[in-house]
Amino acid sequence: MRSWWKNVWPPLVAVIFFLLVWQLLTSLFHIEQWILPAPSDIAREAAAASGGLWEHVWATLKLTVFGFAIGTAIGLVIALILHLIPFLKQALYPLLILSQNIPTIALAPLLMIWFGFGLLPKLIVITLVCFFPVAVAALGGLKQTDPVMMNYMRMIGAGKGQIFAKLELPYALPSIFSGIKIAATYSVMGAIIAEWLGADKGIGYYMMLQKSGYRTDRMFVAIMIIVVLSLLMFGLIALLEKWFVRWKPKQG
Amino acid sequence: MNKETTPALEIDSVSKSFKEKRRTLPVLSDISLTVGQGEFVSIIGPSGSGKSTLLHVIGGLTRPDAGTVRMNGAEVTGQQGHISYMPQQPALFPWRTIEDNVLLAQEVHGPVSREAREDARRWLAKVGLAGFEKAHPHTLSGGMQQRAAFLRALLSPQELMCLDEPFSALDALTRSDMQRWLLDIWEENRRSVLFITHNIEEALLLSSRIYVFSSRPAAVLHAIDVPFPRPRREEVTEAPEFLQLKRQLSEWMREEQRKMQAAQQGGSRL
Repeated sequence: MRSWWKNVWPPLVAVIFFLLVWQLLTSLFHIEQWILPAPSDIAREAAAASGGLWEHVWATLKLTVFGFAIGTAIGLVIALILHLIPFLKQALYPLLILSQNIPTIALAPLLMIWFGFGLLPKLIVITLVCFFPVAVAALGGLKQTDPVMMNYMRMIGAGKGQIFAKLELPYALPSIFSGIKIAATYSVMGAIIAEWLGADKGIGYYMMLQKSGYRTDRMFVAIMIIVVLSLLMFGLIALLEKWFVRWKPKQG
Repeated sequence: MNKETTPALEIDSVSKSFKEKRRTLPVLSDISLTVGQGEFVSIIGPSGSGKSTLLHVIGGLTRPDAGTVRMNGAEVTGQQGHISYMPQQPALFPWRTIEDNVLLAQEVHGPVSREAREDARRWLAKVGLAGFEKAHPHTLSGGMQQRAAFLRALLSPQELMCLDEPFSALDALTRSDMQRWLLDIWEENRRSVLFITHNIEEALLLSSRIYVFSSRPAAVLHAIDVPFPRPRREEVTEAPEFLQLKRQLSEWMREEQRKMQAAQQGGSRL
């Protein structure tokens, strides 16, 4: 507990200091609330949670979790297929990299045209941002299998499937989890972008609505919620990782 | 043929060369050797002489250019899964407990029964790893990890054990401990063992027969029977015959090492 506190207090002090400076500056220079609200104003607005805020949070959370699950699953399946068929990997890996150079924000309107304003195009957007880090991390992890262990498995006559299940997959788990952690934080961003472009609920929609009313304080509340949601997703996966790779020796 | 006289392993005139930049690099040249049932046989030779290539041929990972590998009378050239194996590094899987690591080789060849699991636990206690059944490998010392790796090979369903310089990564003290330990275990169980090493004393202490390999391409230079009676004790290392054999083997090995260095220097001058 004591060592935990030792790690936590420096950033905590930094954040409190930052908020204090912000508060002081806004009142010192009489900055208009619609340009930059003071932290106290934002806190008051968050506490009030007006405009059906929680419904929007709930909608975004559902969309995020759903899209993240699909994206991660697709990423894992792609990694698996490309790993097992080296020719396909050679052919498709460059395309995979290329696909990530298309900004999601540019692709999303197209998806709206093709698939309308329902759930499907939103899920596609989140899937597109989630599958890539998972697929790349999993492929990297599967490729790096320890050669000594690999040699051992082949010497005792293990088949391809056994080598995959008993060696390659567990060996790759830590890298796979680092990919999934990145995907978890990306998924919230993907959901917000999807909601900007066409939705009738969700934090992204709420932001657009408040923007048109110059409710800067409420936009800050939305940003805060996005940060909390991202941290929540990240923390959840980090917990799962801790359980799955509990065998890993602790560093240092 | 009955089982008593059929050798556990018979390697008959095996040759292998690798192609490297349009040159052929001969690695194994006409190697023949035999490991009888319940026999402990060692191969010693200078490092880099192609001993691991020979193991890959026996394990079925590499097909020889010529020659055959037979086990218990049946030809198994190029077939995998007929040997139990202990590599140079312990290669224990970090996510498995020691008990599950020890059972890995059995698991690869079929489901593990409850009796097998109990048997593994008994063996772990016997080799001084009691209380570590549920521990992960990184919490064990180097010597303990090697003992677990040996147990994994010993509990494999295959009759022939191939040990590839298993103690070379250990410090001298642990190493001599492990040699004595291996001798005791083997005297009790008498499995067929092919032991690869470049430590002469280790080979003499443990084996019934020693094959001395030449430098590259590896060929069998000498095959000597080690005459000391079984069960052996460590004191045998102080017997005059032991020292004499040791001197003889050292001389052969030094000569091979010299040849190899000369060949390397000749090669670099080209």
